[in-house]
Amino acid sequence: MRDPLPDHGEELIHLMHDSEARSDVPADSVTQQFAAVSAGTVKAKRKGLPLGAWIAIGWMAILILAAILAPVLPIPDPINDANPLKAAQGPTLDHIFGLDGNGRDVFSRIIWGARNSLFIAFAAVITGFLIGGALGLISGYFKGRIGGVLGAITDILLAFPQLVLALAVVSFLGRTVFNVTMALAIVSIPILARITRASALSWSERDFVTAARAQGAGHIRTMLREILPNVLPAMLSIALLGIAVAIVAEASLSLVGAGVKPDVTTWGNVIFSGQAYIRDAPSMVLFPSMVIFFTVYALNYLGDVLRATFDVRESAL
Amino acid sequence: MPRTFTLKFLRLVLVVLVVTFITFGLTKLQPGDPVSKIIPFGTAQQKAELRTDLGLDKPFIAQYGKWLGNFVQGDFGKYYDSKQSVNTVIKTSLPVSLELMLYAQFFALLIAIPLGVTTAYRAGSKYDRGANATMFALLALPNFVVALLLAIYVGAKWQLLPTQSNVIPFPLNPLDNWTYMLMPVVALTLGQIAVYMRLLRSDMIATLQEDFITTAKAKGIPTRRILWRHALRPSSLTLLTVAGLNVGALIGGAIVVENVFGVPGLGKRITEAILAKQYPALQSYVAIIAILYVTVNFAIDILYSVLDPRIRNARSVA
Amino acid sequence: MSAASIKESSATTPASEAPLLVVNDLKTYFKTDRGLVRAVDGVSFTLERGRTLGVVGESGSGKTVLSRSIMGLLPKRDVERSGSVKFEGVELVGADTSLMVEYWGDQMAMVFQDPMTSLNPVMRVGKQITEGLRQHLDISKDHANQTALALLSSVGIPEPERRLRQYPHEMSGGMRQRVMIAIAIACGPKLLFADEPTTALDVTVQAQILDLLQTQQRDRYMAMILVTHDLGVVAGRTDEIAVMYAGKVVEKAPTKVLFSNLRHPYTEALLSSIPKISDPSHTRLKTIGGRPPNLINPPSGCKFSPRCAYATDKCRTEEPPLSAPDSDGHQFSCWFPVELSAKQTAGVR
Repeated sequence: MRDPLPDHGEELIHLMHDSEARSDVPADSVTQQFAAVSAGTVKAKRKGLPLGAWIAIGWMAILILAAILAPVLPIPDPINDANPLKAAQGPTLDHIFGLDGNGRDVFSRIIWGARNSLFIAFAAVITGFLIGGALGLISGYFKGRIGGVLGAITDILLAFPQLVLALAVVSFLGRTVFNVTMALAIVSIPILARITRASALSWSERDFVTAARAQGAGHIRTMLREILPNVLPAMLSIALLGIAVAIVAEASLSLVGAGVKPDVTTWGNVIFSGQAYIRDAPSMVLFPSMVIFFTVYALNYLGDVLRATFDVRESAL
Repeated sequence: MPRTFTLKFLRLVLVVLVVTFITFGLTKLQPGDPVSKIIPFGTAQQKAELRTDLGLDKPFIAQYGKWLGNFVQGDFGKYYDSKQSVNTVIKTSLPVSLELMLYAQFFALLIAIPLGVTTAYRAGSKYDRGANATMFALLALPNFVVALLLAIYVGAKWQLLPTQSNVIPFPLNPLDNWTYMLMPVVALTLGQIAVYMRLLRSDMIATLQEDFITTAKAKGIPTRRILWRHALRPSSLTLLTVAGLNVGALIGGAIVVENVFGVPGLGKRITEAILAKQYPALQSYVAIIAILYVTVNFAIDILYSVLDPRIRNARSVA
Repeated sequence: MSAASIKESSATTPASEAPLLVVNDLKTYFKTDRGLVRAVDGVSFTLERGRTLGVVGESGSGKTVLSRSIMGLLPKRDVERSGSVKFEGVELVGADTSLMVEYWGDQMAMVFQDPMTSLNPVMRVGKQITEGLRQHLDISKDHANQTALALLSSVGIPEPERRLRQYPHEMSGGMRQRVMIAIAIACGPKLLFADEPTTALDVTVQAQILDLLQTQQRDRYMAMILVTHDLGVVAGRTDEIAVMYAGKVVEKAPTKVLFSNLRHPYTEALLSSIPKISDPSHTRLKTIGGRPPNLINPPSGCKFSPRCAYATDKCRTEEPPLSAPDSDGHQFSCWFPVELSAKQTAGVR
């Protein structure tokens, strides 16, 4: 069979495999980040979480708690407690992260910034998660025309330069928290749709899905009961990274002057307001930058842990 | 083969059309009237005249058609107020962005490829774990943080390099050009190194477990040659894709870095156009970036078959 | 001649007169998460130039690891390799890669199991052949190309000039394996390993490839180690046979002696699991009951005892040593070796 004639069957299978992998190739910053993050640091463990994961969870827990409790914490008001006489001061015992250009406490502003920045990032990604996840699930499950059309829409959305799109949406519709959230959600929809679609495609071909269909389960039931539970880990894992990317994107928008208006304290705005003083009081930029770095690191790490925990292929080794 | 390429090409054209159409729609969504922005104190008649002048009184589709027709003929439109031609702005800013992108890509690959290859070869060693952990941290470092850190210390505190300044074109004074470009390039490069290195490393580790690597070893080929001649090429498909897409993304996408350092590239011009609500300009910028993106995608597809003859062959079969 | 070449290694033999390959108590252990895998557990033999040794065993018997371990092709991490491998009197266990690179391809070479994966998919076939030539022989590009051309013809590839410019995927499995053989013999090695060279190929091609290996081995006066799970493959093509089980040689004899006078129950079982043409149709194929042994926690006593029809309590507690070679050069490790009568039931001619 093989010797007399070169057999291209195997090559074609190879190609199909390749083009399958090709559709998984990261085309946008989040999937790219995802691919890079998940390129093997955390190894799947049989039991328990690595120590690093607990540290990351701890950091996120403290941050979220502080963000929720910001109004009742004994910290100065981030907007109104200004003391122009002590503007742009470095860290002191009273103000451990120093004061900003208007003499406002940077530590307090970072906590209030967490409240807004985390809200924006979480809300954006949850929206993207729901819409993009549904799109991806449907287009991965119905491979025919519906899948093709939805896939094309995803491709078109991905062809938009993401930051430019977000920038345009915010500046046209107004610099409100809602609009920034929506802009970031629009950016995250195609990303989540792609990941979900790729995963749903492979799962929908499994035997148990066919079996469920054969037993008379409807399309919606099959999607929700059979496919979704299997696709969910990958979605959650990329959603964690998506939150990290959204946090950075929010700050980036503020930095070019197209984020939420300065009277709302976000991490981006805290950094933006400090930019003018980098020569005299770099702490105004350094501290919020560090907080963003730790948060992104923690979310990347948790996303990778989640992926490794659920990655059947890897843990089978 | 030509058929699939034609189909692909048509698809690309369609994507660009839809993207520009949506952008066009988006600019109309916005509440303010551009005419009031250009001549805020003009009379109603003056405003109406200007509106006609700019074609804003025509129906949406007609406006889009006119823009598209001009764009295809190479007329990218004008700024409302200054009447400056978008073509002129692109002519000065695109080379700057291209230069920035080329430097960033060059250095990122120059550092990431050897790192990826050597860490894959010594996977699990202290060197590998150290490099890998460093890169994981770099992934979490937004490029604006790097940019700000450089601006604070190298630029402001130690005053080693200029921060806010115009880029001197390379042919005029290479050294000046480099001093201006150095910090933006570093800010863009660091994160890319991490992405490239980690992607290459994981693909390379998989390749090094392939049978044909053992064959090469059994032939007595030295390790160094096996790594670079046998393993690197089949491991570089993902890296190529991501690097290729970044070529598109960095032109006009280096918005934050260009703004922090005041680099007069496309990213900065786009930001300005958006903030000043210069729709015709913005419209053309987005179209150019979308075209770049799809073209790069197309080019990567072709490069794939160069890197892996199996794909080339199967294509011609199909 | 048949028995004379297999003898216990003598470390005192000077290099010039040393046998080509002396393997003495070679052990290869893999450290895994679940424990130490004793893949090769004390194997000794001697091989002279121009002779062929067949290594036979089930998957998991350690035969593939043995050939890789002799050649030094195993990964360095998590592998314990001890004992001695002397090639023309030079010790290779513990040798540095920089030394091994001189031997690999030049002095010893290997034909691998799966030609579909063993050739570099993104390198032209010609380049894959000339690469080794230029590495070891210091010859010009043209000269290397000419040699590659001659090699391809000699392994029976038609239109060698066109083939040189092709990529592996443009060839059939049999062709690829011929290319693999051309690569292996390119520099004129003294020792050739063939690791299940036909397992991945179609039945019709298998005999051609085995014949090709045999001709090349004779023409070039190489020593060859033919690793296979199929006793039928080694029957007419080897001078000696070593049967491996659980990382150990359980029976070793000149080929004719082994087939006429097999002593180990495992060899018997291997042989009887080959279907014979003389069997009436619908004869139930005999298989070896049970599974290959767990190499991490091997059974006590004789490793084959859990699957052996003749096993006694002694077999389950005491491990039989490999006997000293008898006058025919026959060795085996069994407390109750198969007798002549039993052997005839196994259907040996």
